[in-house]
Amino acid sequence: MSRMFKGRKVVRGSAEGEAVVFPGGFSFLGDVDMDTGEVLVAPNKGTALAGKVLIYRETKGSSGGCVVLMTLAKKGLAPVAIATVKPADYNLAEGAIMAKIPFVCDADGELLGRAKTGDTVKIDADEGSIEVRQLIAS
Amino acid sequence: MKLTREERDMLVGAEGDVVAEAMDCLVQFGDAFGAEQLADVEYCHYPAEMAIYAGSVEDAVDYAARGAKVRVDTTTSTLCCDLERPLSTGIPEPLAELQARVEHAHVSMGILDTYTCTPQLLGWTPNFGSIIASVESSAIIYFNSALGARTNRGGLFTRFTAVTGKYPLMGYLLDENRRGTHLFKVTIPAERLQAYDAWCALGFHIGGIVGGEVPVITGVPKPRQDWLIGFGAALATSGSVTLFHIPGVTPEADTVEDAFMGMQPREIHEVGVRELDTVYEKMNTIPRGAQVDFVTLGCPHYSLEQLRYAADMLRGKKVAEGVRFWVCTNRITRRQAEALGYVRDIEGAGALVVADTCPVESHMRQSTCREYGMKTPNVEAMVTDSVKMSRYCGDLIGCKTALVDTEACIRVAISGRWE
Repeated sequence: MSRMFKGRKVVRGSAEGEAVVFPGGFSFLGDVDMDTGEVLVAPNKGTALAGKVLIYRETKGSSGGCVVLMTLAKKGLAPVAIATVKPADYNLAEGAIMAKIPFVCDADGELLGRAKTGDTVKIDADEGSIEVRQLIAS
Repeated sequence: MKLTREERDMLVGAEGDVVAEAMDCLVQFGDAFGAEQLADVEYCHYPAEMAIYAGSVEDAVDYAARGAKVRVDTTTSTLCCDLERPLSTGIPEPLAELQARVEHAHVSMGILDTYTCTPQLLGWTPNFGSIIASVESSAIIYFNSALGARTNRGGLFTRFTAVTGKYPLMGYLLDENRRGTHLFKVTIPAERLQAYDAWCALGFHIGGIVGGEVPVITGVPKPRQDWLIGFGAALATSGSVTLFHIPGVTPEADTVEDAFMGMQPREIHEVGVRELDTVYEKMNTIPRGAQVDFVTLGCPHYSLEQLRYAADMLRGKKVAEGVRFWVCTNRITRRQAEALGYVRDIEGAGALVVADTCPVESHMRQSTCREYGMKTPNVEAMVTDSVKMSRYCGDLIGCKTALVDTEACIRVAISGRWE
């Protein structure tokens, strides 16, 4: 069962991967281990971001976030795409542009209720589309 | 985006490929957010490349080697070690040597190597309404809120702005985006808001609610400058606040109506003592009576006045065995403090006056400690008067933390125990 959601392009490109979903805020500085690319905080503690589609409500925390995202990308540990419900944070957008990570913001608010960690998600930033294919019928 | 003739020439390489590449990224960035044109920028606070970020220092050295030169006054943010006393913080030597390579790169680009998160304390106080580009969330929010200068939350692209003098005209550079969104009515008695840690806790509570929007705060006593710095740092830690208004204190809005530009606040919240105390409960994870092995003052970096205060409190005292006690500031203020005897008093007690860095930016992050085979977590229990420090150390260094006032921090450093 798959559902489509709309969003606004921040960084061009498209990618597909397993979703890692945070209902609230996410800060690249503090919430992910820069060495392993593993999440340090609930509800996805221990999950690796490499190859994943990261979905969360809004960016929070320090302006060091974009440097952490860049460092993860250089090590091949960065997410393949990012979607946020709130408008994109400029600081993070800089990191995503430099690391060429497709990024969609202002996503439909329903997305966070529907998408679960583990679902397969395809993001096409140029189309501003987020397709969620449910892993298990929920 | 509509570019001027000069900007188009820069984009196509008339002034070299470093400038062209920078313009390409800035135009892409502006298009991503619907900017109509580029703005001229007069000052940059630049992201000093930290050796703990793989490839970051090499990137800085290569960039300078390509002949990059800054076109505007540019100061630098913090590093992962104290370049004037490289091994004093316990950093592995190879990391210190790697980090030292950025200084030559920065100086050759014409950058003023300040290596601090509080350039405003060194006199970089851009005028009201001036357009700048800054990194470091506590400096960004101070420039916007306390001075009325205009910057977004800068990151890597601050480098591109420094070498072109340009930034897309968008976000907080535009009047309509500087309007308040949430009203916070503080009902905390004034005497509970007469200390640095209290303003940090207040900021942390509000930031957690307002996220990346613009809080307007009423009902607070007039803050000292360092309280406002801590308050902003906290807002940008629990949230990603870029600008706040305190009518009667901050310059851009004399009244609540001005702050909301005649519109209604989207949300109104009350903030009482209960909300303030919950921040301390959240940050205080050290069991009562437990040993403490780290105390930090100076997040963001301390002013000369704050160093004087710490020196007065520590003169003739002794820091307990096994406690690392850092008092962080910038390299220029440390020189002043040396001349005035403050460093002698603080270090005579067994504390360390650290410049260029702080625990959060240092080698003590778990990821770096593992990489260099050091004790992990490198700190067991840290006491500090800064909520930004307690939040990031708890996660990045993996230690237990406690947030308390400056005097109590010093008492704990002397006793070695969290009472």
